Amino acid sequence: MKGSVQRLAGLLAGITAVAAGALPTAAQPKGTPVKIGQIVSITGEGAESGQYMRWGAELAVEQANSAGGIKGRPVQLVFEDDKTTNPGAVAALQRLLEDREIAGVLGPIRSTQIQALLPTVNEAGLPVMIGGSNYGLTHSGSRWVFRTRPHDGFSARVIAKFAVDDLKFKKIAVIHSTDAFGSGGRDLVVQELTKLGRPPVLVQGYNNGEKDFTAVLTAVRQSGADGLITYMTFSTDVGIMAKQIKQLGIKAAWLGSPSITAIDGRKLAGDALYGTYGVTDFHADASPKSREFAAAYRAKHGSTPDLYAASSYDAMLVLAEAMRRAPDLRPDSIRTAILGIQNFWGAEYVYNFDDNGDGLDHYHIVRNENDAIKLFKTIRVPRS
Amino acid sequence: MAILGQLAFTGLAIGGVYALIALGIVLIYRATNVVNFAQGEFCMLGAYALVFISQGARVDYFLAAAVALVLMAVLGLLFALGLYYPLRNRSFLPVIIATIGASIMFQNGALAVFGPSPEKLRPVIEAGPTGGVMLGGVFFDYQYVVILGVTLVLVVTQYAFFEYTLLGKKMQATSQDKDMARLLGIPVTLMIALTFVYSTVLGGLAGMLVAPIYFVTHKMGAVLGLKAFAVTIAGGFGDVRGAIAGGLALGVIETFGAAYVSVVYKDAFAFLLLILFLLFRPQGIFGEKVAEKA
Amino acid sequence: MGRGRPGAAAIALGLPLVIALPLAVTTRYGTNLLILAAALSISTLGLTVLLGYAGQISLAQATFFGIGAYAVALGTSRGGMDWWLALPLGLGAATAAGVVLGMTTLKLGGHYLAMVTICFQIIFSQIATNWVAVTGGPDGISGIRRPRFFIPLDTAQQYAWFALGALFLVGVGVWFLRDSALGRSMRAVRDNELAAEALGVDSLRVKVTAFALSAAIAALGGALYASGFRYISPDSFGLDQSIEVLAMALAGGADAVPGSIVGGFLLTFLPEWLRDLKRIYLVVYGAVIILVILFMPEGLWGWARLVGRRLARPRPLPPARRPLAVGGRGEAGETILALENLGKHFGGLKAVDGVDFAVRRGEVHALIGPNGSGKTTCINLISGLYRPSFGRIRFLGREVAGMRPNRIARRGMARTFQNIRLFRDLSVWENVLVGAQRALGGEAAVRERAAAAIEFVGLEGQAAERARNLPYGTQKLVEIARALAGTPELLLLDEPGAGLNQSEKQELVDLLKRLRAHGLTMLLVEHDMSLVTQLSEAITVLNFGKKISEGKPDDVLADPVVVEAYLGNRDAALGLAREHA
Repeated sequence: MKGSVQRLAGLLAGITAVAAGALPTAAQPKGTPVKIGQIVSITGEGAESGQYMRWGAELAVEQANSAGGIKGRPVQLVFEDDKTTNPGAVAALQRLLEDREIAGVLGPIRSTQIQALLPTVNEAGLPVMIGGSNYGLTHSGSRWVFRTRPHDGFSARVIAKFAVDDLKFKKIAVIHSTDAFGSGGRDLVVQELTKLGRPPVLVQGYNNGEKDFTAVLTAVRQSGADGLITYMTFSTDVGIMAKQIKQLGIKAAWLGSPSITAIDGRKLAGDALYGTYGVTDFHADASPKSREFAAAYRAKHGSTPDLYAASSYDAMLVLAEAMRRAPDLRPDSIRTAILGIQNFWGAEYVYNFDDNGDGLDHYHIVRNENDAIKLFKTIRVPRS
Repeated sequence: MAILGQLAFTGLAIGGVYALIALGIVLIYRATNVVNFAQGEFCMLGAYALVFISQGARVDYFLAAAVALVLMAVLGLLFALGLYYPLRNRSFLPVIIATIGASIMFQNGALAVFGPSPEKLRPVIEAGPTGGVMLGGVFFDYQYVVILGVTLVLVVTQYAFFEYTLLGKKMQATSQDKDMARLLGIPVTLMIALTFVYSTVLGGLAGMLVAPIYFVTHKMGAVLGLKAFAVTIAGGFGDVRGAIAGGLALGVIETFGAAYVSVVYKDAFAFLLLILFLLFRPQGIFGEKVAEKA
Repeated sequence: MGRGRPGAAAIALGLPLVIALPLAVTTRYGTNLLILAAALSISTLGLTVLLGYAGQISLAQATFFGIGAYAVALGTSRGGMDWWLALPLGLGAATAAGVVLGMTTLKLGGHYLAMVTICFQIIFSQIATNWVAVTGGPDGISGIRRPRFFIPLDTAQQYAWFALGALFLVGVGVWFLRDSALGRSMRAVRDNELAAEALGVDSLRVKVTAFALSAAIAALGGALYASGFRYISPDSFGLDQSIEVLAMALAGGADAVPGSIVGGFLLTFLPEWLRDLKRIYLVVYGAVIILVILFMPEGLWGWARLVGRRLARPRPLPPARRPLAVGGRGEAGETILALENLGKHFGGLKAVDGVDFAVRRGEVHALIGPNGSGKTTCINLISGLYRPSFGRIRFLGREVAGMRPNRIARRGMARTFQNIRLFRDLSVWENVLVGAQRALGGEAAVRERAAAAIEFVGLEGQAAERARNLPYGTQKLVEIARALAGTPELLLLDEPGAGLNQSEKQELVDLLKRLRAHGLTMLLVEHDMSLVTQLSEAITVLNFGKKISEGKPDDVLADPVVVEAYLGNRDAALGLAREHA
């Protein structure tokens, strides 16, 4: 039974391949390629997620090319390693800029690197797609950054609302890492919680790479918190903290930033993370487009994509779409085109660009159900 | 009360980790007057070795651990011959930098080979859903108990070895005066090689014990090594008792400091204390003031 | 005295390079690398001063770099200050921090100092990352402005000129520092701190100054970096960066200006060249560091200099215009040194136990006794290397017991050491210059005295030799010249004859006789009795830390107590005494 299905599939694949080859090549783009640069971590701590980002962008490029490219020209992706450092990101951007033919850039996902890049981006006057969630990135007066992830202002609002209204947290403890992401998230979520009448009973920071959360969890216990909200950068830290929560017998529900869904943390924490909630900007079940993306990605790489792959895919997708719509490939034309993109579905969700360059305004609530990350609810935040 | 107990146990346990690593540093220093900045990386490499062996084939944990320790011994030998030996007559600064260079190599080598994703190792005692037991409101992680136990056994064994066996005395002699030892027929190079081998194995063992709690990443040795190094100094360079006492003390101070002063500045706080300690008691906890003959 | 061709050539090349490099590098990215390399090389030059000259290890250089960077960043972007006002504030803050760190050297050196600097660095990193209100935390600070200058500095190329120009100026400054009195003192402290102290160098002040200078220089580098990239964040100023700068110094050659610059540029560009190796490039970087340490101990520049030195010919010493002024002021016969019930106990060991004697101006006073009698301890007490457990020492009318050695030295005391303590990497000329710095007068007077002292001992021909290359007997002469160059009132000689053969001893005796003839007061510790009898007018004998005899040479040497102390046998002693008498 199985064998015959396999053989049938193989036959179909073979026919498809021949057919594809036999199709007229009018659909294949030719001519000088449209070069898009990608600043991505090939070395350093971010190397793992950097690989997913590359795969996401590459998939989008493949799909763009098989759909005719941009104005009949093939899309070509050029990578530069940012070494997961700020100076590395700046150097990578500058190397890309040396090539005058680069029409646009897919930028990093780390907010601190994007901040380091902004002066150079503004000077260069080239559209840069970014994935960092720090609110200020699109509100610092730059005309050239366009975000393919929802920023932390939205995540904070979603987290606060869900925690108070849906999960019914009464006494809330906010645990955050002390870096840009964690501190920024903390500020925003505390603000939102206070607006909803539930200011946190504990706000506790910790440094990335912390190995022992006894002090933090002791404070949590002492505060009597029944709900934890966390902004944690690295899922390794999530894993360690989860284990200790279980060991110390802390009974509090947990709603965390995207790292709580990442595979590293789940591998390390095992069942200590079952039943926790997380917010994330990407889930494969969220929409037909995300399902489609996940299937294509899985077919190519054999694993489920995460938000790194998805946001990078969308960055390329949006940029290519804008370039198609724009009358020419001058930076200003591309910019106008991007800002004009409304109601456009990507792997993350539906894009509606505002004047600041923010395209998304949603977050998914997910739940860790026996190690499967199940989509619970998607919340969109009205733009103010 | 339970809180104090928890902080105390965790503090001692973490201190035990530092002490275990400091043991290796002290040994090398006593034998060669070299401070090995790569000791933390030995821990990391030991943990990765165990990961590699036990995940590559379905092998019994203890057997895999033994094999990993053998690998560490080989590494120690290579380290002694390739790095220490050529630099043995130079001043301490080039040696420090060379060991720092080695540490950079090891860290990034591990990153290149194993990737940035952290790895998990099983604890020595696999019992219960939480890996430990809750007594009187204080959670005792079995792995920490094992660490404390192993540290104790090692310290006692080491003490007995150095004080009561001939080989131990030969190694002590080598560390105090290489030239004289050589003149007395002690094979100095062999002694030093043995010291490095033992120290590397010790470091690897520490890494394997720590890994189930901290998870294995290429960076795991960096901070551990630095703190163990600080502890070695606070304990009085070359003094085993001091390193143990210092390690336990640092763990406790850190944990209580995090709970009552600031989680975020916990490291800064610990290092500030170390500076003060160095300034006001540089001979270490147990050391005696030594006057230099002009 | 010249420093050899390679160094001077490098300086001469420097200015044209500053102008040419930004023109030669055409890519924006390459120009930014130039700016980075310039800023880091300036930081490395700070280490040239601290490590290369003064021999102090520091793993906190990135802290000072960071202080300069944050000062300029906060000043120009938040405070709306002019860059030229923010810069000195940053330099001042860094200098203050450097002084604080330097003060720890009062008690610590070597590994301990390394550890303290590491702690200092980590504390700074934590503060920079967590004190969000001031430093912006991990977000860092953006919008940093560039300085106003004669030419606009808006483009990368223009700024590269500015940065490289600053590097050149700092390089020249550090270069000249090496041969200044302060630079010599630093190198003396590096080579032999104890001897430097005994020659009047305030080693603590020198070390603190070295830390302060290196901090200020690093801060300048940081300021240039901040304005160059217009954005800073704490992860550029951590322990890893301190290690990087130290590696630059060692790879290039720590004690030379061109070395630090070579190291700075090499290790900035190397990761870029290795970029294609992708994942393993850092492994290669670590390996390169190790290889340089193993095979080029003095760094790349040190290796180049070695080659150059073989080619260069040493320039001859300019002759002294006046002979050395030996002998002190004041009347002959007055007591210039008096010990009263002096004692030093080391735990249970009573090295010196209640000794009294006095030395009169113009006399050669010998201090003798069997091994372990406390002679060298006495000398060390007198010269300030040890603090007495009890008792007093009066020198030229002032109580000096327990005073720091450099202060005693500057009051007019000089000494030589039983185990020669020359500054091994300095030349004979430089060694003696350090000794000459002790007395008053400007650089010209110092050089005069040094030249005169060298002539006095007859070492003009070897003035350019490195001390470590000299034969033992010559080294002893250099030590004496070094002590004389400061025109001391009292010269302490600790076993000057030890290890010399007969003819060398005779030369020594002749030299000391000449000194005596000039009226120099000397206190001599010796074992060789013929030396003692030829030179001294008065002898004090110690045994087990106590004085057992004193007086004119003939009397003392016939004293049976003295003979017994040396031979340990009363009857044999009496027999010998009868023979002698």
